[in-house]
Parts: sequence; C-alpha cells; structure tokens
Amino acid sequence: MLDLFPSREAGPFGRRLKRERGARIPVTVVTGFLGAGKTTLLRHFLASPEGQGTAVIINEFGAVGIDDALIRDSADETVLLGNGCLCCIMRTDLQVALRRLVFDRERGTVPPFARVVIETSGLADPGPILQTFSTDRALGGEFHIDVVLAVVDAVNGEAALEEAAEARKQVIFADRLVISKSDLVEPATVEQLTHRLQQLNPRATIDIAVSGVLDPHRIIEPVADERSGFVAEAAHSDGIASFVIEMAEPIEWLTFARAMETLIALRGSDLLRVKGFLDVLGSRGPIVVQYVQHLAHAPVELESWPAGERRGRVVFITRNVLERQVRDLFVAVQALAKVEP
Amino acid sequence: MAATDQSPISKGYQPVTWNFKLLANDMLAGFGGMGEGMSVQIAPDGRRIIWLAHESAPKNFTAVDVSDPRKPKVVCQTDLPHADMRSNSLETCGNMMAVAYQTSKKDLQPAGFELFDISKPENPKSISFFDCSGPTSRGVHQLWFCDGEYVHCASGSRDFIPTNPSDDQFYRCVDVRNPAKPVEVGRWWMPGTRQGDNVRPPSRHPLDKGFRAHNTNVYPQRGDRCYLGYIDGGMFVLDISDKANPKKVSQWTNSPPYTGFMHTVVPLFDRGLMLVTDESTENNCKDWPKLIWVLDAREESNLVPIATCPLPDHAIYAKAGRFGAHNIHENVPLPTAWHSDQIVLGTFFNGGLRAYDISNPYQPKEVGVFMPPAPPGAPTGTIQMNDVFVDERAIVYTVDRHIGGLYILEMDF
Repeated sequence: MLDLFPSREAGPFGRRLKRERGARIPVTVVTGFLGAGKTTLLRHFLASPEGQGTAVIINEFGAVGIDDALIRDSADETVLLGNGCLCCIMRTDLQVALRRLVFDRERGTVPPFARVVIETSGLADPGPILQTFSTDRALGGEFHIDVVLAVVDAVNGEAALEEAAEARKQVIFADRLVISKSDLVEPATVEQLTHRLQQLNPRATIDIAVSGVLDPHRIIEPVADERSGFVAEAAHSDGIASFVIEMAEPIEWLTFARAMETLIALRGSDLLRVKGFLDVLGSRGPIVVQYVQHLAHAPVELESWPAGERRGRVVFITRNVLERQVRDLFVAVQALAKVEP
Repeated sequence: MAATDQSPISKGYQPVTWNFKLLANDMLAGFGGMGEGMSVQIAPDGRRIIWLAHESAPKNFTAVDVSDPRKPKVVCQTDLPHADMRSNSLETCGNMMAVAYQTSKKDLQPAGFELFDISKPENPKSISFFDCSGPTSRGVHQLWFCDGEYVHCASGSRDFIPTNPSDDQFYRCVDVRNPAKPVEVGRWWMPGTRQGDNVRPPSRHPLDKGFRAHNTNVYPQRGDRCYLGYIDGGMFVLDISDKANPKKVSQWTNSPPYTGFMHTVVPLFDRGLMLVTDESTENNCKDWPKLIWVLDAREESNLVPIATCPLPDHAIYAKAGRFGAHNIHENVPLPTAWHSDQIVLGTFFNGGLRAYDISNPYQPKEVGVFMPPAPPGAPTGTIQMNDVFVDERAIVYTVDRHIGGLYILEMDF
C-alpha cells in the first residue's frame, strides 16, 4: 500500500530516526525487591525539574494504594494498578492503563506528558512487562522503554538476591542498577553488594543513591551507549546467561530475520531479551532490533552510527541457550543463505 | 485499575514541549508580533540571517543573526511609513528580498511589493517598488520569490474590479529579472470574481472570507505549475508554462461543509502527495476544525484527500484566541531551507507548533508539540503560533502572531 507513495528520504525500515525511540513516549521501568526504596527514589525524581511532565503507573501487590498516596502529589498523572502483581495477571491492566493515557492525551483531558515511569511491584518479573511494549499491536507504536532500572537496597539486597529468583531476575534484566540505603551500612557491605551485582549483570552501570536521591538524568537517559561497553558472557545460577554476538561484516536483513525466526520457533520462551544494532546490507544507519521472547519490536533505522562504531552487535539474555549455540545458528544460516540457487 | 480523579493536572489548557528542544526565544526588541514571512539568507560575510515579516504596523521587517541558534541577535528592524498598512509576507533569494505591502483600506499607498538589496543586513537598500494600488485594491498580501527572476503574489490591481469587494486579490506573476523595473507578465483569477467575467460569481460561504489568492507556491521540480491557495475558493493547480496565460489544471475544496479559508498548497513531488492547509481566522474555535489535509496528487487533475493531520479535541483550546491550522514549512526551494516529505511542521495558533510523521500518508502521526507558556503581555493569554521555517541545518524557527517574537528549536524525534 505504502509503495504508492515512495520517498527517497526513507529506507526499507521507514523514516530514519535520530534515536531508537523516534517520537515515541519514553518509559522508565523501575524494578526492585520489596522495600528496596523505589518509591523514595521516584518521589525525589518527580520533585526535580527533569521529573516535570511525568505520568506514573504504580503496581501494588496486596494492600491498596500506599505507594500511590505517596506519589500522587508530585506526579502529573498517576494510575494505580491495585489488583496484584504487574508481571502476571496485571499485564492486561498495564496495557489498558497505558492505552488510556494515550486516549486521554488525544482527547485533551490529560496534557501531552513527556514520559511515563512504571513502578513495579517488588515481586514483579520484568520480562512480561517488557513484552507489553514489544509490538505495534501492543503498545510499541506509542511507547518505548528507554531505561529499565533495578533498585537494590544495601541493607537487605544481598539476602533478597540469595533467596528470591525474582530479585535476581530484576537485576539481570536491568539497564542500570541503583544501590539504595548505602548510608545505613558499612562501605565494605556496599562494595560486596556491588561485586555481586556486577557478577549478575556486567552490562549495567551501578549508581549509588544517597538518601534516596539519584541524579534525575540517570532515571531517564537512554542506555544505548552504556550497552556498547558490554562484557563477555555471564552465566547465572538460574540458567540465565547473557552474551553479545558481534558481526564484523554487514548482514543481509533476511539472513538475520531467518536466523531469529528459527531461534524463536525453537526456543522463543527462553529468549528473555535480545537487543542490538545491525549493519544491514544496503542500509545507511544501524538497524535496531529487539526481541522479548516470541515477540519482535518493529526494526527501525537510525540516521547514523555512533561515532566510529559501524559494527553489528546484539546482546542476548537467554535461559539455557548458550552463546555457542546462537553463534553456530547464525553461521549456519549465513552459510546457507550464500549458496546460489 | 483506578485512575485518579484528583490529578494535579488541571483539565484545562497547559503549555507543553514534547519532542522539541527550545534553543532560544527572542522577543525582537519588544516588537514580537510576527506575520507569515520567514526566510534565511547567508550574508556575504558568512552570517546566517533570518528575515522576518511582522503581523502588523509599526514594524516592517526584522533581521536576526542566527549563526548561533542559541544566541540570536537582532541586526536590523525597520518601520512602515504609516499604521494603515502591514508587510505580512517576505522572501529572500540570495542578497535580494521582496516584501509585500498590503493596506488596511482600498486605494491607499504604498500597496504592492518592494525589492531590497540585503547584501549588508544592517542596512537594506530599496531597489524598486512595484505598485499594485487602486480603488479596489489593498495591494499584496503574500508573495513567493525563490528563483531571483519572478515574484508570484496574491495581489490586487488598479484595473481589477472584483464582483465582490472581498475578492480583490488574485494570482499575479511579476518579472523581476531587472529588479529596478519589475514588470507583470501574467495573472489568473477564479472565474466569476472579476466584473465582466462570463461566469456567475461564486456562492459565498457563511464566514465569507473572500474568494481570493493566498499562497502562490512555485517549485523548480515543476516550474510550469503554480500551487495556489485561494481562501474561500479552495485551492488550484495552475499551468503556468505560458506565464502570460495561466490555465487551471485542477481545483479542490473542502467547503462547504467546511468553512473556507484555504491557505497553502505544498506538493511533495517524489511521493505524489500534496499538503493543503486551512487557516483558522476566528477566535474561540468558531471556525473549527481547521486542518492540514493530505491529498493523493498522483493524478494532478483528480486530487483525492486521503487524511488530515490529527489535532486534539478543541474544547480546551476554545477559550483563548485562535486554534487550528495555518502555515506549514513549505520546503522552499532554496539551499538554506530544509526539505522533507516525511515530516510536516505546522503552526496552530494556541495549539503551538506541531510536527507530524507522514511516512504513512494515510495515517499522519503527531510526533512533536511546542506550546510555550504565554509570552508576557499576550492579549489572548496564550501563545498564538503563526508561522514556521526550518533551515537546512534542521533548526526550526517559529513565531508568535502577537508578541512572543521568535522561538528557535531543535527537532527531537
């Protein structure tokens, strides 16, 4: 249909974007185990100039509305999801809440808020939340997750990581980690926790919040640059591994897509998060790809590569899928694709 | 799920900046009521100067050095000879500038356009004046001047007696290849609007804003076409391959049922699309809705509207001043202008500046909004964004109609 109106300005992936989120509304997902200090962090952020124009969605587990009452005075728009944990039964409600924000903005009953912050329940698995934003049919056309933040408190964090798979998962999925309540423990404890967090998630930078205060930019700035400094494979006790596949040569889009289709068909539920830049043959800028389990975000082309970095690289967070297996799959598909008929 | 009913956001009008970055605002020495003429010149000394038309007297035009878009500096501001006139439109081409003069009543002077040498931006020198005054004429409302050779304008004329006094301005093409002696080479008016036409005058629309020319855009991609907004007459595509005898190729109008005042036509040649804007001219949304229309123009003789650029519900905008479409960035065919067939930027008075992604022309999508707080002294209590121009660096310039002057922005989407 759109071939009716071709444009020399656009590539095969549509209008080239300055940045990954294009014009979509940026979303920060704040995770962290029960009592980690998410609400305090959020309140300070909302009070800062950078926090202006933020719509907040709070997921409560159990008692209704405690965190909501704390936040309401400072947020531009607050929606409380009070029925349970965001990751399981509440994903539909999250979609409804986000859709409603969009409709209300269109109708003019809510001003065009500049960003959304989702504070998840302490028990939430971030995976399904990320899935909510995967496709255009879901909310991927309107919203884009810029940052997934995990708050870990210095007092109880270590124990939570030891005992609760959800807490570990929150750390593994995060783009940034924030250590809270550092003023309540000895420096050695913070150091030890930092070491543990680095083991779990070597991609993420670690910030220390002092009395619940964190530079507001750390809550909203996209993390693309940090990810490029990704370190090698990290394996976890839950069978979760993270690794990066680098591609020295440009790749045909179809080859990449076919390899991912195969991977999804065989092990989709174990692809917890896949994200990266591709150097696609015939494309000027990098193509950003992102997958959460079976769902793929629509790929977008950026206007330009980060300085001096024309090189494909894709980060995988998987469960019981090994780096070698993924690498072998790509090599095999590429080899097959090269054969002339 | 429970949405709060006591949200701190009032349900009313609020300024907002979404996906634009404000670099600077210049109130233009207290004369920040700006019209719909914006043009960028690279001066011989290398400075980047934006020339701005004023909405009304006392000022004629203002030049602002925007070499550093974060630090604009007014370098020239001139006065009109009297208060019963305005110079609402201007264009530059190289070091020459054409400025439109329209009087508030018929048969006043000066009504026409003036050419200036702007080699020294601090000291523009008049080259010539093309007189368009007459007992039925208010002179020139708008002009287009991009090739250094012809001024295409919406103008009255001494020898043009309209069938209705409101229909006084029509399309005129003036040869300025000898800038000291401009000469009219062709004209076209909507049949029925001139006394003596063998066609009945058009039926008036309820708001009756005149069957007269507004924007007169001509692009080198189709130098034989003029894309003509004709206010209550809709829009026309003219064949100007013979400048002395322009001929109608096609017409499209949305009125009735809409309320007239079609303003600008911008063809997107590569894509076979056309953007057509209305102008909101009534306060408090009395002429709602005023829109940017997307037309399938693959067959220029059969223009098909396929979409409009979506606006929020007008309720909260209806309280103060105008709200609705007006000017858009016109892809002016000069090296100092940004060109896009993917993004449309338009001004919507109290709806501010809005950007749309039209990569899917059937579904334009809003991608940015700039609605600054009301400038101090704003008579409507809101911004009234009037015009927009984007330079080749993708720096966005937009102006307030009443007092706020020039806003300089970056697109952030």
